[in-house]
Amino acid sequence: MHRTPIYIICSPRPLVGKTLIARLLSEFLLLKNGAVRAFDINLKEPSLLDYLPKITETAEIDDTFGKMALMDCLIVNDGIAKVIDLGFHAFDEFFKMSGEIGFMKEAARRGVSPVILFVADTDRVSARAYPMLQQQIPATVLVTVDNEFVVRGELPQAFARGRVLRIAALPGFLKTYIDRLTFLFTDYLRGERDSSTELHQWIRENYFSFRELELNLILQKS
Amino acid sequence: MAKPVVIVVGADKGGVGKTTVSRTLLDYFSANNVPTRAFDTEFPRGTLKRFHPDVTEIVDMTTTSDQMKIFDTLNSAGPSVTVIDVRAGLLSPSLASLRDIGFLDAAKSGQITFAVFHILGPSIASLDEIAETANFMQGAKYFLVKNFINNTSFFEWDQATYNSYFHRIKDATELTIPKLNEMAYEQVEVASVPFLKFVANKTMNDDAANYSFVLRGYVRHWLANVWSEFDRIKLTDLVGSSKASARGGEK
Repeated sequence: MHRTPIYIICSPRPLVGKTLIARLLSEFLLLKNGAVRAFDINLKEPSLLDYLPKITETAEIDDTFGKMALMDCLIVNDGIAKVIDLGFHAFDEFFKMSGEIGFMKEAARRGVSPVILFVADTDRVSARAYPMLQQQIPATVLVTVDNEFVVRGELPQAFARGRVLRIAALPGFLKTYIDRLTFLFTDYLRGERDSSTELHQWIRENYFSFRELELNLILQKS
Repeated sequence: MAKPVVIVVGADKGGVGKTTVSRTLLDYFSANNVPTRAFDTEFPRGTLKRFHPDVTEIVDMTTTSDQMKIFDTLNSAGPSVTVIDVRAGLLSPSLASLRDIGFLDAAKSGQITFAVFHILGPSIASLDEIAETANFMQGAKYFLVKNFINNTSFFEWDQATYNSYFHRIKDATELTIPKLNEMAYEQVEVASVPFLKFVANKTMNDDAANYSFVLRGYVRHWLANVWSEFDRIKLTDLVGSSKASARGGEK
């Protein structure tokens, strides 16, 4: 049976690159599948909604109404991949709620496959949050994102044991370039004729990592 | 034949969650395959009856005919567990009636298992109720239920005062009913189904319903916590049933 993936990009820390990863992943899924639904629970930080307004909906989990609106929509096996850009301020509440309502079990029952992309940082808050996730999330779907721009060196040992997705750091000027609100990764791939540029290769590498991640998940399920 | 079991759920104050606790008990017994009947004393319109119509009968505890309906049928071949949801203000008079008809003596001599779930409110009056109710508790299992479902805070109690009341009753056991998300509680009210059916996303007639997954999750989590309290006090042992290995609600 076809399963619907939900990618939850999260960290208890601000400014670790969650929205960047959510943008990349959303564009990759849009390119590959032709459709994706993105949810922005990140309104206090640079927002996915600003970058991809056509495919992004805002969501709030401050009250029960917001939780219902988001989770009742996520739990549907409709074949459209979902990406959630989960702001640092909503991290605790989201996982507390998903633990209480039995989200992972219900998702498995309904043919929905959540994948948690935890963006690692070297601080204590991240170190405390990760074991909490490990308790709640099966190891096979808990992926640590090693964003070189944030970690700047060896990934702490505690995060390195499970599956790791590496995002290479870009030089400052390219970072500024991709941070423009009008910039789209797929448009760049299509428009740039020189495939040897650093940015071209960086996007392709990341798309390749996402494809690999997806294939691994399919293999695990089968 | 199994010894009859009577569980009285009551308080002398209204709005402390008697019917909610009765509902969780009926769900608990249903999930553990314990045949149960219930009496709702909110005559003439009962709330418990609305949620569990198949097993609930509305009675007027103040009339002799309805007292006979409850207690004269205890030894019949029907369900061995009887849950009585006593309406506000009737707990002490009901216990006095039970004493007068010799029911409490029967409990004392072990012919009947008798348990009282006394739902406590936040006010000091609830502590006075404990003292009053304690006079009837010989031979009964007495459970003091702190019900947080409607966000009650028990700040009015001085712990020392509470303890002095609490310790007057030998073998009294404390139970805590945790808070349930307000919207989830409200949705179950609107759906008018047992908590178990709400969790299973079913209507009263067992048709598929469309309740929110989030709210069902909250109810499931809350119900599991309530039931773990019931497990802690070994409620199934009390009613003489060995607990089923897999409960319906936990599947």
